[in-house]
Amino acid sequence: MKRERVAIAGLTGCSGCQLTLLDCEDELPLLLKNADFDYFPMASSGIALKGEYDAALVEGCLSTQEGLKLLRNLREKSRLLVAFGACAVSGGVTAIRNDVPREELSRIVYGGDAVPGGGFEPAPLASAVKVDFDITGCPPEKADILEFFAGLSAGVLPIPARTFVCADCRARENICLLAEKGELCLGVLTRGGCNARCPSMNVPCEGCRGVAEETNFAEAMAIFSANGFSADRISEKGGRFFREFLHEKKEYQKTDPD
Amino acid sequence: MKNRRFLLVGSDFEPFCMALYGQGGIHIPKICADGGVRFAHPVEGELPDLSLIRTILPLKKYLFPPKDKVLSYSQDNGYQPVEYNSGKLLIFGVHPCDLAAISYLDKIFLNGEPDAFYLPRRKSLALIGVSCMPDKYCSCGDIASPMPADCDIFLYKIETGYMVSCESDEGSAILSPLSPFLHETDILPPESTRDNFSLNSVEKFPDDLSGVSSELQEMARSCLGCGACSICCPTCYCFDLLELPSLNGERAERFRIWDNCLYQSHAEVAGGYNFRKARTERFDYRYRHKYLGFGQLQGIMSCVGCGRCIANCPAGLDLRPLACKALKESSHAATSP
Repeated sequence: MKRERVAIAGLTGCSGCQLTLLDCEDELPLLLKNADFDYFPMASSGIALKGEYDAALVEGCLSTQEGLKLLRNLREKSRLLVAFGACAVSGGVTAIRNDVPREELSRIVYGGDAVPGGGFEPAPLASAVKVDFDITGCPPEKADILEFFAGLSAGVLPIPARTFVCADCRARENICLLAEKGELCLGVLTRGGCNARCPSMNVPCEGCRGVAEETNFAEAMAIFSANGFSADRISEKGGRFFREFLHEKKEYQKTDPD
Repeated sequence: MKNRRFLLVGSDFEPFCMALYGQGGIHIPKICADGGVRFAHPVEGELPDLSLIRTILPLKKYLFPPKDKVLSYSQDNGYQPVEYNSGKLLIFGVHPCDLAAISYLDKIFLNGEPDAFYLPRRKSLALIGVSCMPDKYCSCGDIASPMPADCDIFLYKIETGYMVSCESDEGSAILSPLSPFLHETDILPPESTRDNFSLNSVEKFPDDLSGVSSELQEMARSCLGCGACSICCPTCYCFDLLELPSLNGERAERFRIWDNCLYQSHAEVAGGYNFRKARTERFDYRYRHKYLGFGQLQGIMSCVGCGRCIANCPAGLDLRPLACKALKESSHAATSP
């Protein structure tokens, strides 16, 4: 079997997705049998980008010129470019304050008039380059990462989960955190495949896997609001991982009586 | 003891249960620590709570799990079926609707060439049914499948305790060692929800939903598409097959996973064409399956009226009014000139 050349890179993010890959301890020996991780600064320093790659997995969002340069470089050198984790896919946590002007954010964080230069508004990888595949989640499921590598060896891409977190949750016979406990759980909008990891631990879904294949935002908003959640609270939570909510928020800000 | 009936007085219920538990693996309906109602293993000395109306998941969780490995592949041996050797499991406290649902699933999975993954699990289950009182979500009296509520032993609630009806050889084997608690009787069983099955005929339900198209559209507008209704439905059995290669490419595993007719992907075929792209079409389809039946079971309603789809819908959707209105519309159309 042909050995795959793989690059793993991190842009602006917490490195949790790369850590999740490194955390697949039982599978790492098998992974290394079929793939060469020829660029993986987090795991092994001092290796420069060189030659072409079968796949490049890029974690984090795009927010600096250096990041953009690296991303374009990887795109040019790689057959498959994979958005690795929520920030790379949608901006994720790094983009939650994109509705506030950068100057104001800078004042809040650094004080005074100091504005560190070079950065720009966090954006998903797909805003700058063609992305071939998304591995969603914050962090992604180990199984999703391994499924990608198994597919890479077999010459196929995994099929993204078609379920909702809500359905995964019921299939685990959990009680409903939204309907039965009145909590702001985003499982009714979120793509499944995580086996309802958070709701099964009594933690409402944050929506980290992004929106499901087909969602009904209007009805979900109506249910959240009937459960007593304010528009601000809904968009604050929804905006962490759903780009769709950032737009919604602006709409809500116009109509919110407060 | 088969085809005989016995009285079990209320004060004997606890020793009866404990003697029953002594026979081996048993699951009972119970409120778990998180407040969820499920069929699960009793803790030491815990009695089944036969007053509970519905568990989150029906018994299909034992017969047809959400993700089931069906084949494994290796380069040396090719595809090999996965073999199941389930130990005996007694489920105590199954309501007539859930029993009717199993009769329905049996027709799907056991008629003709029996399903190799369903059959051993089905054989390993022994069922003790119990009569119940429907709540606001139940529709067993009005709209429910004509499938029989078959089981090995059935308990009718009566004023002084239970009337125990032994209905199979397996039921006999279970009850024989428990005879000290049982007093034979000739009295006929009381009327119960069990009799609400085998009453309805699907011919009453219209094939054409054009008379209720506005209701259908309204439901589709409110549906979140999450598919929780189908997950919790005791007679939903759609599945997909998924093959996952191993990391070294030398092995693979094939899984049967629950599919869901509320999802757009359910009717998607190669080339991206979709038979039911709109949610109204999917509701129409769901109506047809639940009330008209389809495939080899066309003409057999599959809804057993357990109410799980309503109780578990985050949007509070309820198919019953749609079915009732469609019923009314069609009888109106039939009688008008």
